[in-house]
Amino acid sequence: MRDDASLAALLRSRPDLITPVPTDLTQLATRAGTRASVLRALERLDRFALQTAEALAVAPDPASYDTLLGLMAGDAGDETIAGALPQALGILREQALVWGDDDRLRLVRTARELLAPSAQHPSPTGLGPTVQEATSGMSPGRIQEIVTTAGLPSTHDSVSAVTALTSLFTHRKKMAKLLAGAPEAAQEVLSRLVWGPPYGQVTAEPAAHLRWLLDRGLLLPTAPGTVVLPREVALHLRGGRAHRAPEPLPPAVAPAAAHSPQVVDATAAGQAYTALATVEELLKDWDEGGPAVLRAGGLSVRDLKRTAVALDVSEPVAAFWVELAYAAGLIASDGEADERYSATPAYDEWLEQPPAERWARLAQAWLAATRTPGLVGGRDAKDRALSALGPGLDRSAAPEVRHRVLSLLAWLPRGAAPDTESVLARLRWERPLRGARQDGDDDLRSRLARWTLSEAELLGVTGRGALAAHGRVLLGAPPATGSGSAKPGTTGTGAPAAPGATSTGAPTRGATSTGAPAAPDAGSPVPSGPGDKLPVHHHRAPDRLAPLSAPEQAVAAAAATRLLAPLLPEPLDHVLLQADLTAVAPGPLRRPLADMLGVLADVESKGGATVYRFTPASVRRALDAGQTAADLHAFLAEHSRTPVPQPLAYLVDDVARRHGHLRVGAASAYVRCDDDALLNEILADKRAAALHLRRLAPTVLAAPADPATLLEGLRAMGYAPAAESAEGDVLITRAHAHRTPPRTAPEPVPDGPPPPDATLLAAAIRAIRAGDLAATAPRKQAGEPLAGGELPRTSSAETLATMQAAVLTGDAVWIGYVNAEGAASQRVIAPIRVEGGFVTAYDHTADEVRTYPLHRITGVAELADD
Amino acid sequence: MPRVNGPLIVQSDKTLLLEVDHERADDCRRAIAPFAELERAPEHIHTYRVTPLGLWNARAAGHDAEQVVDALVQYSRYPVPHALLVDIAETMDRYGRLTLSKHPAHGLVLTTTDRPVLEEVLKSKRITPLVGARIDPDTVVVHPSERGQIKQMLLKLGWPAEDLAGYVDGEAHPIELLEDGWTLRPYQKQAVENFWHGGSGVVVLPCGAGKTLVGAGSMAEAKSTTLILVTNTVSARQWKHELVKRTSLTEDEIGEYSGTKKEIRPVTIATYQVLTTKRKGVYPHLELFDSRDWGLIVYDEVHLLPAPVFKFTADLQARRRLGLTATLVREDGRESDVFSLIGPKRFDAPWKEIEAQGYIAPADCVEVRVNLTDSERLAYATAETEEKYRFCATTATKRKVTEAIVRRFAGQQILVIGQYIDQLDELGEHLNAPVIKGETSNAQREKLFDAFREGEISVLVVSKVANFSIDLPEATVAIQVSGTFGSRQEEAQRLGRVLRPKADGHQAHFYSVVARDTIDQDFAAHRQRFLAEQGYAYRIVDADEILADG
Repeated sequence: MRDDASLAALLRSRPDLITPVPTDLTQLATRAGTRASVLRALERLDRFALQTAEALAVAPDPASYDTLLGLMAGDAGDETIAGALPQALGILREQALVWGDDDRLRLVRTARELLAPSAQHPSPTGLGPTVQEATSGMSPGRIQEIVTTAGLPSTHDSVSAVTALTSLFTHRKKMAKLLAGAPEAAQEVLSRLVWGPPYGQVTAEPAAHLRWLLDRGLLLPTAPGTVVLPREVALHLRGGRAHRAPEPLPPAVAPAAAHSPQVVDATAAGQAYTALATVEELLKDWDEGGPAVLRAGGLSVRDLKRTAVALDVSEPVAAFWVELAYAAGLIASDGEADERYSATPAYDEWLEQPPAERWARLAQAWLAATRTPGLVGGRDAKDRALSALGPGLDRSAAPEVRHRVLSLLAWLPRGAAPDTESVLARLRWERPLRGARQDGDDDLRSRLARWTLSEAELLGVTGRGALAAHGRVLLGAPPATGSGSAKPGTTGTGAPAAPGATSTGAPTRGATSTGAPAAPDAGSPVPSGPGDKLPVHHHRAPDRLAPLSAPEQAVAAAAATRLLAPLLPEPLDHVLLQADLTAVAPGPLRRPLADMLGVLADVESKGGATVYRFTPASVRRALDAGQTAADLHAFLAEHSRTPVPQPLAYLVDDVARRHGHLRVGAASAYVRCDDDALLNEILADKRAAALHLRRLAPTVLAAPADPATLLEGLRAMGYAPAAESAEGDVLITRAHAHRTPPRTAPEPVPDGPPPPDATLLAAAIRAIRAGDLAATAPRKQAGEPLAGGELPRTSSAETLATMQAAVLTGDAVWIGYVNAEGAASQRVIAPIRVEGGFVTAYDHTADEVRTYPLHRITGVAELADD
Repeated sequence: MPRVNGPLIVQSDKTLLLEVDHERADDCRRAIAPFAELERAPEHIHTYRVTPLGLWNARAAGHDAEQVVDALVQYSRYPVPHALLVDIAETMDRYGRLTLSKHPAHGLVLTTTDRPVLEEVLKSKRITPLVGARIDPDTVVVHPSERGQIKQMLLKLGWPAEDLAGYVDGEAHPIELLEDGWTLRPYQKQAVENFWHGGSGVVVLPCGAGKTLVGAGSMAEAKSTTLILVTNTVSARQWKHELVKRTSLTEDEIGEYSGTKKEIRPVTIATYQVLTTKRKGVYPHLELFDSRDWGLIVYDEVHLLPAPVFKFTADLQARRRLGLTATLVREDGRESDVFSLIGPKRFDAPWKEIEAQGYIAPADCVEVRVNLTDSERLAYATAETEEKYRFCATTATKRKVTEAIVRRFAGQQILVIGQYIDQLDELGEHLNAPVIKGETSNAQREKLFDAFREGEISVLVVSKVANFSIDLPEATVAIQVSGTFGSRQEEAQRLGRVLRPKADGHQAHFYSVVARDTIDQDFAAHRQRFLAEQGYAYRIVDADEILADG
């Protein structure tokens, strides 16, 4: 029996097994044997465990531990592999992929099917089928010929002949003798096929050296023109090794450079401050209405470009900042009719926090985010552009990879920056199957890892490529770990929370039903498996940091905040003013000072310090904002550590002197009169109050009302005003007819489609009648003996059941089949596997293994007994 | 803990801010000077800029990326962004991947230490016509005549080549410095040494800091026939005068090649103008370059080097080249051509530093703001755009102010400098002073200059013909009434007129008379920016103050 601990380990490592929670062990076993679940479990294996599983898949079933060791380490043996193998096997057992004790190791059947070499799925081992498998279709006569040519006595049946041949091939000494006699060209052919792919092409009349190999069964035909190197022969040539390059040890993460921890922490702190400044700048830039939300969601390319220019960074980096602010809940779409992005109320709260806490909030959001800004600018599977803040940027693997990369960094000595390629190699070793199927230059995990490294640097989690003390603490590692002596805590405290958190997309019930044939096999290991022989936590890699639960993360963030706070620069309250009309703030400024200077001067350069330049335009901006020249002088004098340079004082006065000299306002009508007294009279009149007249000059009154209202008002007061045109002439008013621009008359809109004509009607009736006839024609009953030439017809459920039964019994069945062109045929097939809506079967009619889609099979019938 | 007391702040746009009052500022300046260009030097914080050219200059001078990074990290007040350090290392690494050298069998060859780089540049359409056969995977033949061209192109492609092909010695000619009663100043010696060691390159010294002597010192090192290219005839005479005085060369050994004389002697001084004179589509005076086996070519005022001269210079890459200038800033932005064709910067010293050592006179810069009268304002507002500057620059009020300033400094040597001849003639009339302009003959010019030097004349009105290289040791006051729009280097040149050390240690005065609220003021601001950035703060005074005093 598996004990509770090992069961817990299984469920922890394969969380899909408990969603939903299985009712009993049998159900658990069934679920663990489904193809989807096994695939998922295989994807989680590291490279060596996977290689071990692959070796088991090519080994006899069951295989002893020694056989497995032989396949992994070869005839020569390898201490490293011998040392690592028990652990790898332990992992496979914990994952319920391997069962049986050490004498009879068995790979779960589904896993074996997935990993064993076949013509369709070449094995990563590069091994071909066994002699037995390759000779299954061969005539007994030919087999006897081979056996004799190979120098063995002939036998009376094929089975014993194949066994004899197999034992010859696996006998190292006899085999070496046999091969010693091979022509040189034949040796060369073997050496070409030995590491796979094991298949080769031959012509109908093979050359002499090929014939030599074929005659001795060293190459066996699989199909006309194709030969394969049998597994036993390949293993002999490989010295018994299933893998060309077994990788028992994870590749070490190599440090590329070592800096002093102080430098690293300081650099990271500096960058952390820049991160805060950048996010603030971004939000300031978007303060009065950010960019519009695209209809499909996200930022337009132009807005991203503009933002990048405003932040003075490249577009990918701008996308990172935007996404970071979004992930931290500082920006969101406002949800108005013309949707725009803008700051959330949380942003205002965030602004009030001390810098180190603001950073911790950003860093936490970053660690947990599944959104990956690195994808921005790329295209998705449907060739749609991926935009920042838009849909399609979530990658569920991102937090895990991020955490993994950082914990690899945490494992290095303090101050050491890793070599990127070695980090990627390590990640690929840990999850060789995940995401590795892309044909592109880099798989998703590698790209995620690269992004993690660059983003960590931008955010100030790392400095000069090395993890800073506050970054270390943020991960939950003690700040002083590293250098190999003090191992990071591997208590796995986060474990109870982990399965729930990582289970994405529960396995569907449908997966269970297609995997049904595997269930009996998979069911047995759980009760009888010797999983309890191994301590459960034994094979956890020691450098693994468990992801933190939410409360733990909060504690870690608080600790990081405490470490970071003293490293952040203290805001200053002064600047240096210079005669070339610049001001230099030699560090970050207190906020009110920075805000005011931002209005009064243009920022010329940013970084550790800020350089401001005063220009007439910038001073005018400050005056427009309601400051007076005296205010500005006082402000400059107060915050300058040096006397205010004369040219600057002059500039302020000069601009102030002209500021507001010209006044602009809005009026929609005026009253003009050469007689001041008359205008005085109008202004004094109470009835004019409603017109809100204002005197602009002795002879001009302005009114906010339109000219017509003003005319009427004045007439009502008893005056006789005349309207004036733009040129100042008196306007003669005349009634004016109102016309639209040219318009066409409306098209009539009939109700419904136009009535059909006779041809259309006749055609429609013919079609309806034909359909009717087809539906009411009598059908043949299933199961009835079929007349010759007629296709068997069964319901799809029945077809499936019969096929599955045939897989189990190994019987051949008779099917009706309609190919892609619609041509119907009958075939006799021996189903091997039913999965994912396909039947893989040996087709007796075509004499080869073929795959048929179930939906194209019209029906199935069992063959009459001979 | 971060070092919070460094004098240097590294900005994200690759500018470096140096706090000059800091105790370690001097050490820091020395550490960053090799690779960062001083951009602005106002009173408190100096701005340096790190550019690829600057970094390559540093590489050419034998510094490596590690030194640069160390200097930044050591003096920086705040942590230096990692990305910037990486960028610096990568940029510096680009220099020297390609080398031009002499091959015993194939002549001039371009070799690489990094094959993909060579592949990349050879793919460029602009490089293909300049190179010949590929000798081996890392080496390709370059046509000797294209040595300059290929260096220009490679720099444009971002892979500057190191030129190790060496120089021809040229025809030997004995030249010695005659150091009787004077010696080269320490910085001049350093400049000569750096140049000679580097082979070819540019020496940056402020006006009045004795660039001619750096030229003479270099000639004494080369001891070979020398071609000196200067901006104009007056300047040519001055060079000749100075060389006769300071070196073992005699009048007969020095030839002048200008519009009026066509002498070719062991040391020949030619003007840019005569070289770039084009007749029927050809430059007839180009043969000057081939007329002798020159061992050294000196370019005076490199920042004014006209474009055709660059083209000829490209063909002269086998000769040693010395560039002299007050500023590497070119109004046309061809700094990279100076780098690739004449050579990297070999020496520079900021004005203020040399002033502090007492070699150039301190100057008091004043901008006088003149109010236009109401009628002038109306006329200005209605003037055609192209006439506007002329109008406001020559306003009548300026004349009154100029007169007032001249009265104030009565007895001192005063130069009045302007752009518009009418204005200058009028000023000359009112001030009762001679006017030197384009039409004044060279003989007359020299006569007037001599009289001014002797103190016979105390006020001289000059047009822009006197902008360059005239040596007026006793001018203590310069009044600029108008200029060539917003030209920064013209302003620097004019200030240079009064910066030469005065016998009596008098303070120099530089007045710029500007019409308020007009484009004159905008241009003035642009012109002054360079000087303000060099630490020459302008005071601003109202014309009324000057008039009241006068």
